[in-house]
Amino acid sequence: MSGIQIKSLTKTYKSDAVLDDISLEVPEGKTLALFGPSGAGKTVLLRCIAGAVEPEAGQIILNGMDVSGLPPEERNLGMAFQNFALFPHMSAEENIASPLKARKSTRDQISTAVRRVTELLKIDHVLGHAPKELSNGQKQRTALARALIAEPDILLLDDPLRNVDAKLRFEMRLELPRLLSGRGATVIYVTQDYKEAMALGDTIAVLDGGHITQIGSPEDVYLRPANTAIASLFGDPVINLLDVVPERDESGIFVMLSDQKVHLNSGYDAAVGREAIIGLRPESLRFANEGIPVEIEAETPFNEKIVTLTQTKRGREIIVSRPAGTDAPSTGTACIAVEGTSAVLFDRKNGERIVPASDEKEQAA
Amino acid sequence: MHHYSPLERVLRGVALTAIVIFFMFPIFWIVLMSLQTNETILRSPPSMVFEPTFSNYAAIIAGRLDSNVASMGIEFMNNLMNSIILSVGSVTVALILGVPAAYAFARHKFRGSEDIAFTLLSFRFAPPLLVLLPLTMYFQQIGLADTYLGLIWVYQLICLPLILWIVRGYFEDIPQDIEHAYRIAGHSWFATFRKIALPLAGPGIAAAALLAFIFAWNNFIFALVLASADKQPVTVGALAFVTASGIQYGQIAAAVVLSITPTLALALYAQRYLVEGLSLGAVKG
Amino acid sequence: MANDTAVRVAPARFRIPSKLFPYLLSLPALLVCIGILIPFFTAVWFSLQRYRLSQPWNRGMNWGENYLNFLTDPSFWNTLQVSLVYAALTVGLELLLGLGIALLLQKRTRFNNFISIMLLLPLMTAPALAALMFKLMTNPNFGILSYFAQVLGFENMRWGSDPSTALLTVVLVDIWVYTPFIMILLLAGLRSLPTQPFEAAALDGVPRLQQFWRITLPMLLPYILTASLFRLLDSIQQFDIIYAMTQGGPGDRLMVFQVEAYLNFFQSTNVGRSAALLLILWAITFFLSNLFIKNWLRLRERARGEA
Repeated sequence: MSGIQIKSLTKTYKSDAVLDDISLEVPEGKTLALFGPSGAGKTVLLRCIAGAVEPEAGQIILNGMDVSGLPPEERNLGMAFQNFALFPHMSAEENIASPLKARKSTRDQISTAVRRVTELLKIDHVLGHAPKELSNGQKQRTALARALIAEPDILLLDDPLRNVDAKLRFEMRLELPRLLSGRGATVIYVTQDYKEAMALGDTIAVLDGGHITQIGSPEDVYLRPANTAIASLFGDPVINLLDVVPERDESGIFVMLSDQKVHLNSGYDAAVGREAIIGLRPESLRFANEGIPVEIEAETPFNEKIVTLTQTKRGREIIVSRPAGTDAPSTGTACIAVEGTSAVLFDRKNGERIVPASDEKEQAA
Repeated sequence: MHHYSPLERVLRGVALTAIVIFFMFPIFWIVLMSLQTNETILRSPPSMVFEPTFSNYAAIIAGRLDSNVASMGIEFMNNLMNSIILSVGSVTVALILGVPAAYAFARHKFRGSEDIAFTLLSFRFAPPLLVLLPLTMYFQQIGLADTYLGLIWVYQLICLPLILWIVRGYFEDIPQDIEHAYRIAGHSWFATFRKIALPLAGPGIAAAALLAFIFAWNNFIFALVLASADKQPVTVGALAFVTASGIQYGQIAAAVVLSITPTLALALYAQRYLVEGLSLGAVKG
Repeated sequence: MANDTAVRVAPARFRIPSKLFPYLLSLPALLVCIGILIPFFTAVWFSLQRYRLSQPWNRGMNWGENYLNFLTDPSFWNTLQVSLVYAALTVGLELLLGLGIALLLQKRTRFNNFISIMLLLPLMTAPALAALMFKLMTNPNFGILSYFAQVLGFENMRWGSDPSTALLTVVLVDIWVYTPFIMILLLAGLRSLPTQPFEAAALDGVPRLQQFWRITLPMLLPYILTASLFRLLDSIQQFDIIYAMTQGGPGDRLMVFQVEAYLNFFQSTNVGRSAALLLILWAITFFLSNLFIKNWLRLRERARGEA
């Protein structure tokens, strides 16, 4: 059994459970994106795996070996820290070479490996610099090079792009998958950015308040978020969440939005008559000649999109997003067409997704 | 920010001059005195005009005091040597004991850690004689009486809390992630302590050591109670010298100058750490 | 789970459990700590005994008698009074002087910094040697201070050897040595104060004297408190200056706690009384040090927050 397995991991600080009964599995060579808001316990989980923090209970199995009680230096893994954690009194080169020095590599092996990894990361020209002379981007690459150089089977990346500028973040987001997949390492990648999670993760695990609230493929988490919290965290602009009560007539199952019937997928029989929340992605909505009548409140460009804030007659706000350059009304009244089949339904009481019957079958298979 | 009126300016100038004279004059005067013969010292009224002589220093360094009456030996160089041995020894021991403990207190909030740290700190404030008097009896029994080792141990009363509390602050200022990163890179706990924690806290350790040295050097009461003549540092020795030589004022002054020069020089050298060290980190310099 | 059987266990090898590390690291310091605590408890035990080194046959427990005797012992009350007066005088005067100097040097100019560094020198002088310096300066034959006193009309001013001026003389030495301590703490405090309240006050036309009373002083109070408590702790147990200057004399004019206890122990060899005296002093310092540590910790947190 290779890869990373975590079983019922629990860590408390002053009787507050930071991690509560966490179980996870990352198959060998795959990348798990660990996503969650700040304070969710992501960093603590990584530190438990790295051995920097001792959990109260649970098992961590790395490449088939239970590492509980093993000090960090014997876990044979690479880690990049959010704040880089470079050794301030050593040059970039000494920083990068330190895992190989610890493994007693020869001088030749070290210089070859340093050259290879730094050329790959394009920092070979700053090797003699002290960390404080490096730009943030160079620091981040140095930290990454240090994590990669010993070619560990397990790689832990703690939000490595958090403290770098937007341009570099974009570049690295494209570059990292190549870097990671080329090495066959099992990776846990911590991030607060859902786009990063979706771009880099084979699987995404959502951690919130010390619990794993959802594990699934990026598509799964985006299209079928386990609860309203996850739905709101994934997606920018944020998903529209509207209170509804599903009904049924001869045409099928539907909800009423501003006196307009919006038909849902079949399979939501169980939801009929329950107090629910409907989640509508802004990009699944578009302006049309007919649909829900709304008043346009404001419009703002957002990345490559244009986001429009609208309000229904009952004062509910709906956000619509469309690609920049497409035409649409920017003031006055308009109508929004809703594609009910892409909507997600949540239970209003606990925020959990109401799983339609069709999905259940899929999951059972 | 604000402008001073001419009157204020004058008053400030007068006040500052008075302050500088009050605090600098005794040092200045003792240095002058040490460069004079007894005859010029005893002139009345005192005068700044004299021919400087180093004979007082020469006599002290040579260890012989020849007056027209008699010739006597001076142990003062021996006292100076004792001060060096005791201060260097105490600081070394305090560093060996205190730095690892400071690291433990900074990094691991283990059970009782605060209690131990505070107990050590409270030594700094307890009356030293309370411990010293019973200790004289114990030292007699276990053979530590009048040994450098015994004295150095007692000097830990002042050196250890200082090292512990100052260095602890410096260790706490090192981001823990840097140490984690070094261990994850594959280095042992001890290698991390040696290669990361110690170098990064280096300036703090040096500052604490300098300050501990100054306090050890300036200590009086420990050696007064526990040391016999041949182990006495300059603070006690200078007093004994006064009693012994009586009227050799120039030599006494020279002895005082020799005794205070090391700490004053160190203080000037390390002045930017002094503020923080003196207040045990309560005030940043 | 099925794959549990496949899980290898980390190879067994001797490791010091990481929970033990901190204890191991602090063990040597701890031992020294214990080495100090033993004589402390011995002192407590001595204080409950009738114990004179000169009368070993007469030694025995007398429980609280040493303490009870103090109630009717005028020399104890003298010791307590002299110690308190000495501490109050030195700390009070040093505080006033130190605050004044700090205010004068508040601006960060090269000249002010130079002066504040020079003022460190008295503080770095061993107090016993400082006392010796002043003893030379007050020598009736050639002392410069005696000469000045004479010029000012105080004929035959005998400084430390005169009961009426002895206290003044040692207080003067204490001020010379320790005022810089208060000065540098308050100076650091002054310079760390936020500037906005002063700018706002200046804009509102608040007179500078009022600024001092209403803004500077309240904001400086934690520093003043820490510095005074620290000095009070030292001053109440002053030994070096007084012993080096007059050995507690003339008469019992300067018999502060530690000097009295020292002489009790070594001259009259009354171990029991000496220990009891020191324990009373310890009780006072223990109370003060708790106050001080509370203040100090709060300031330390603040200083570390700024860094």
